[in-house]
Amino acid sequence: MTDLPQDPSDSAMSRDDLIASLTEDLTPIRRVRPVEGMVLIAFATIIASVASIAAHEWWDGLLTGDASGYFIITHGLLLVLGAASTAALVSGALPRVGARANAPLWSAIMLGILPLGAIINLLSGNGDHAREGLNDPAAYMCTTASLAAGALVLVAAVLWLRRGAPVSLERSGWLAGLAAGSLGTLAYGITCPLDTFSHVGLWHVAPVAIGAVVGRLVVPPLIRW
Amino acid sequence: MVADEPTLARLMAATQNGDKAAGNVLLTEVGVWLERYFRRRVPPHSIDDLVQDVLIAFYTKRATWDPARPFLPWLAAIARYRWVDHLRKVYKHDSKELMEDDAVEDSEEEVVLARVSLDRLFGQIPDKQAEVIEMVKISGLSIREAAEKTGQSESLVKVNIHRGLKKLASLVEKAD
Repeated sequence: MTDLPQDPSDSAMSRDDLIASLTEDLTPIRRVRPVEGMVLIAFATIIASVASIAAHEWWDGLLTGDASGYFIITHGLLLVLGAASTAALVSGALPRVGARANAPLWSAIMLGILPLGAIINLLSGNGDHAREGLNDPAAYMCTTASLAAGALVLVAAVLWLRRGAPVSLERSGWLAGLAAGSLGTLAYGITCPLDTFSHVGLWHVAPVAIGAVVGRLVVPPLIRW
Repeated sequence: MVADEPTLARLMAATQNGDKAAGNVLLTEVGVWLERYFRRRVPPHSIDDLVQDVLIAFYTKRATWDPARPFLPWLAAIARYRWVDHLRKVYKHDSKELMEDDAVEDSEEEVVLARVSLDRLFGQIPDKQAEVIEMVKISGLSIREAAEKTGQSESLVKVNIHRGLKKLASLVEKAD
């Protein structure tokens, strides 16, 4: 089958018709503001936190000073990664050209030091120590509860991206997954009383990696426009 | 001639507020801009389809333009997105053919935008590298001539060109 050349006057005419019809339907619109995206995702994180506390009970270790340094550092880094990926995700919903923010990547790399350290820590002990750390009975619970909380954040991220016009779908997918994984884990993490390095370093970081991969796979088809 | 950036931005702000006359002028101007944008990127018979496709995308996503930001980069980002989508759909199995340049002329806007983009990129690499790339790769001077003009040795000119181009390539890769 060959492509027939179009008559330029036909093209011009159909474009004029299109412009006339678009103009006819033109109505005032409310601008998409990045702050709305930030608020939406922050709100979803708060709802996820409240739901986690309702389901798992609040652990007051953070307030009483019982929480270990590892617990505070891990959740602090989750907050930084969540903020960095949310900011990049939100601005990425508005078409623009120029250099992209690298903050989410560097934040993720910083967070990645924790599982690496936890594994080294486990392997440097005796065999039983490593086996116990990797067979953590709370691992499944923490991972799934974090992912469940993250699902709420992911829904908010997708709603925001659909309202905007992301021009880099794969990147938006990664960012949505990172934001969902980190903020979801943070939302659930405040209810978890297990604060050893091996536990938070592994099982409060694994949902971030899982969330990022899920976001990359699931989000792009949902936000294509 | 297509309107300039400040005029387009004003028209866009009015269009967002529902001004139909401004919307009509803007859509027409954007159509002309897009036609020139796509002339170098797709075969002639695809241009009008793509222009209309982007006009619809432009219309449906007009709420995503922020008046505090420039208009043309926003439009270019949308045009590029639709173009890449078009390439994926239509030329999935023959991307090579697509890259052939069917353009017969450059638009003034493209030359200006290319220069602006280039200057912005040059601002991100060391002056010595930008200077020799400009001389050898753009102005067409020989390595020896560039060496004489800049006072760098010939081998240093080559090294600076190589390193500068490598840095520029990575900057372009990172850009949207």
